[in-house]
Amino acid sequence: MRRSRTFLLRIESLGENRGETTLKREHKRMLRYVALRGICLFAVVVVAVYITILIANMGGYVDQIIKSEIRFQIGVSVNQNPAYKNLPPSKKAELIEGLYQQEIKRLGLDTPFILRSHQYLVKALTLDLGRSLYLTSDTGSRLVRNIILERLPATILLFTSINLILFFISITLGLYASRKYGSKLDKLIVALSPFSSIPGWFYGIFLILIFAATLHILPYGGFVDVPPPKDPFHYALSVLKHMILPVLSWLVAYTFIQTYIRRTFFLMFSQEDYVEMAEAKGLPPRIIERRYILKPTLPPIITDLSLTLISSWMGAVITERVFNWPGLGTLLYMAAIMLDSPVIIGSVVIYAYLLAITVFVLDIVYAIVDPRVRLGVT
Amino acid sequence: MSFLKVEDLYLYYRTRMGTLQAVDGVSFSMKKAESLALIGESGCGKSSLAKCLMRLLPRNVELFKGHIYLDGLDLMELNDEEFRKTIRWQRISMVPQAALNSLNPVVKVGEQVAEPLLIHKSVDKKEALEKVRELFSLVGIPQAFMDRYPFELSGGMRQRVIIAMALIMNPEIVILDEPTSALDVLIQASIMNMLKRIKRESNLTFILITHDVSISSELADKVAVMYGGQIVELNDAESFYKSPLHPYSQKLMASVPSLREDKQPEYIPGAPVSLINPPKGCRFADRCPFRIEECSEEPPLVSLKDGNYVRCWLYAR
Amino acid sequence: MAGIAIILILVGISIYTITTIPYERAIYLWQAGKGIWLDNPRNALPSWMNLFLPKKLPETIILDTAEKQRGVTKIVVPFGKTMSKVIMELTFNYNYDDFPSEINLFYSSKFTSTPPQLTVYWVKPNGEKFKLKDLTLSEKGAYYISNDEELVKMFINRIREKLGEEPEYGITTEIALFAKEDKSILKKETVSPLKGKYRMAIEGMLFEKDSDVNVKLVVYGKVHGMAGTDHLRRDLMIALLWGTPIALSFGMTAALSIAVLQMIIAATSAWFGGRVDFILQRLTEINMTLPFLPILIMIAVFYKLNIWTMLLVIVALSIFGSGVKTYRAVFLQVKEFPYIDAARSYGASGLRIIFLYIIPKILPTIIPSLVLSVPDFVFLEAALAILGLGDPVAPTWGKIIDDAFSAGALYKGYFYWVLEPSFLLILTALGFALLGLSLDKIFNPRLKEV
Repeated sequence: MRRSRTFLLRIESLGENRGETTLKREHKRMLRYVALRGICLFAVVVVAVYITILIANMGGYVDQIIKSEIRFQIGVSVNQNPAYKNLPPSKKAELIEGLYQQEIKRLGLDTPFILRSHQYLVKALTLDLGRSLYLTSDTGSRLVRNIILERLPATILLFTSINLILFFISITLGLYASRKYGSKLDKLIVALSPFSSIPGWFYGIFLILIFAATLHILPYGGFVDVPPPKDPFHYALSVLKHMILPVLSWLVAYTFIQTYIRRTFFLMFSQEDYVEMAEAKGLPPRIIERRYILKPTLPPIITDLSLTLISSWMGAVITERVFNWPGLGTLLYMAAIMLDSPVIIGSVVIYAYLLAITVFVLDIVYAIVDPRVRLGVT
Repeated sequence: MSFLKVEDLYLYYRTRMGTLQAVDGVSFSMKKAESLALIGESGCGKSSLAKCLMRLLPRNVELFKGHIYLDGLDLMELNDEEFRKTIRWQRISMVPQAALNSLNPVVKVGEQVAEPLLIHKSVDKKEALEKVRELFSLVGIPQAFMDRYPFELSGGMRQRVIIAMALIMNPEIVILDEPTSALDVLIQASIMNMLKRIKRESNLTFILITHDVSISSELADKVAVMYGGQIVELNDAESFYKSPLHPYSQKLMASVPSLREDKQPEYIPGAPVSLINPPKGCRFADRCPFRIEECSEEPPLVSLKDGNYVRCWLYAR
Repeated sequence: MAGIAIILILVGISIYTITTIPYERAIYLWQAGKGIWLDNPRNALPSWMNLFLPKKLPETIILDTAEKQRGVTKIVVPFGKTMSKVIMELTFNYNYDDFPSEINLFYSSKFTSTPPQLTVYWVKPNGEKFKLKDLTLSEKGAYYISNDEELVKMFINRIREKLGEEPEYGITTEIALFAKEDKSILKKETVSPLKGKYRMAIEGMLFEKDSDVNVKLVVYGKVHGMAGTDHLRRDLMIALLWGTPIALSFGMTAALSIAVLQMIIAATSAWFGGRVDFILQRLTEINMTLPFLPILIMIAVFYKLNIWTMLLVIVALSIFGSGVKTYRAVFLQVKEFPYIDAARSYGASGLRIIFLYIIPKILPTIIPSLVLSVPDFVFLEAALAILGLGDPVAPTWGKIIDDAFSAGALYKGYFYWVLEPSFLLILTALGFALLGLSLDKIFNPRLKEV
């Protein structure tokens, strides 16, 4: 009897891992996973930026950036060089032109772009994005990098707040609705979800119409009152006031569909066997909800969130334009109008990075939430 | 003195096609440390009976009444919250059918088994894990597996985990719903051996629900055969296996292939009776080879010794 | 079900529009070239608004001596050897509660060397007549009465003489010509038009034998047509109507082609497996992380696109999207089904297997998401238009909104300008969304019945 039992036991555990302590094993796996994802995503950014450059330069815009940069540098160096101080302007211009042509030849800028593109690729990846044509940052810098970095916080502020609020509302409501399957609230959510086919920025237009143009209680757009309040507290309040409409527009647009999706997930997952088991174990409903429904559902929710966040970056661009929010989207819009190609290209590069970072962060969260991923089982 | 006494238990579901009478007036009793095998085809109501005992009822219940006396206490008189706090899992626990998906995929196995202890008895974590370790060795799982996730375990291992989980609160009754049907024969054998060992070494009361007559013979002290939502025969195991009384029981026994004889296993013609609108009279009458005229009337419960009975006209004279 | 109804209505509108107004003509009209729209008021509300407003807004009144109309008379009386006197009277009834938005007098004349001369008088319903201006005509021209500052000054003097006070606000010629000249004229809130029969009397001299002159008086209303007009006086109905087939075809073509192409890519990936699968999957992942809209904007800026090229670009950027992953998962599942092997074993050709067995399995997934994605593309086009990057020529709904925004419609209160195209956009989106969601429920029931 005994022998057969141990024999059977051994057969059963043949498939399992042995050896190291579990914690160390997990950490190692986690690190490996994170590193792998990081590399993948970086590769994505590289490709994205490369494609951007290729597209941009089919119209010769990238070269334009480089060339104007060179001209600028030469101009500066000539003007500062004491040896040339006394040259008449026309002679100076000739000199600059001559040096410029030399430099072009030296850098091989007169050769086809394809062969040189990798140089600019490296520069773009390291955010050495050149000088803008028309736009300047608030501090007067013409460096594209500075212009963009200045606008970035506004975008991140709006974007993150909207998505965080939306996420928590949709999860809470979704959970609540799934608990009351078939109730009025549930049916309401389902009935209203077609309204989410209309993007947030569109609702934004209406909100502006109602609250700003007609009722005059909220501002048309912008970041902060003009002139901006001096003390930080009122400044912050003013910013919050300006955030209300953009945030509201997204909430109106996407709450219903998101809640619907979450609620469907929760319903699907609450029909799983292990939920019944949890009930059988006599666990209180709150715990069942949190540990047996919410927790296992998080992985697919995170995947869905990943896709949602990517598309919301896109929507954010237009929303910024509608609300005149001084972020990256409006910058892109203005650059587009003014044909300021360095800024346009730079913005696209930054967006590529932002997207990749978002996906990266979500991948990490996913790994934390779903042990199957960490421990490398399909 | 009966330890568990079920009296006139009814469970009806409301479905789109009508009222489904899953448990239709079931009564039986068991002594402490006795094991009951509940046998029947799929769809005869055995799992529903288990759900009654655990009060794990779905949303569409139409009727749930009767008495379930556990050591004198009528469980039906407790409200849901009391039941959850005092009875479920602590005095009666369950190992569900097809347990492979019954473990939370994102919680470590050891934690899951310890969970009821932590929730119900607010034992501190270290103590709880210690108990889990004990149980794991009882059911034959290596200690290292406590920190694993369910997907890292094979089917047989998971089944053992679930059994361990069912035992963690030292319940008085454990219901096993088809404990081995999803596993291959080799694992089946080892699990059954483990259960037998546990039965020997503790005084747990088992209720084993199965459609596999042969397995039940290993564990059961008493056998109840269910058909059409009713118990048609309740007898001591020995008497049952030697000579089943009810025609349905006889057919069931005859359908088991015999290792030693050269007999062909028989089958039972027809399909199990529908639980929606069951026919008048004896529910097995349509498929019964011994059918007589009286069978169109509801057959009486013919008492045998020790509280056993058989529900058949053939024994009524 | 409501979704289908809505879509059918929209399709109906499209067909009607396409058949009645050919595309080129629509573009021509929308370009608003030389004076096509000159007879329309600027920024007029739709006519049916008058049903809801307490103050009835005026419609445009056009009186043309070159046409046979009631209320228009023209008499030419010869005068001496070559000269003639011409008397024209343009009469109309004005019964509205509000003033016209603009008044213009267009003229055209025929002469060799000496241009005709006209004197224009205005007669109010109460009989008061006063001179507006003396005109020396050219071959084609206009007397922009609305811009006549002298007229305003003269009028203010009149009021001062009559009432002893001057009005407290800036008077316009329209008010001058139409207002009740009593105390009510002094305040902006109380001024109102005098209702009744108005007459423009024109006396003039033609100096040559063959000279002729014709005038057209346009009293611009504040309402026009079914949809109103925009800042370029264009009748918005044209763009609204024509926007319909454009939006529908744009959205549906994009959704359909992307879905089909994604399906093909997914099928190829799943069927061939191995290297092909690997490459295609990496491509998909990369594409999914690309910033779609910024790149689209960049392309739109650098390479001026028309709407159909833009469609192409959008499709090209989207075909390696998330749909590929979803469809591939389904395909992988289906590939393993035993009946596929069974079909293979009885010698069914690959094509037959694909169409009879595989495609039906994937339709439940594709169709709802296809339908649901149409609004996304319609709004994408609108978004690009609002960003100013759309096709500058095509009359789409997005373009209307863009024009409205650029002209500050929201600040100036021209809400209808934004609301009308928005309404159509919303209608389209809801139509497809309702249809898509019901299709999804039918094809993919995911939940147990309660």
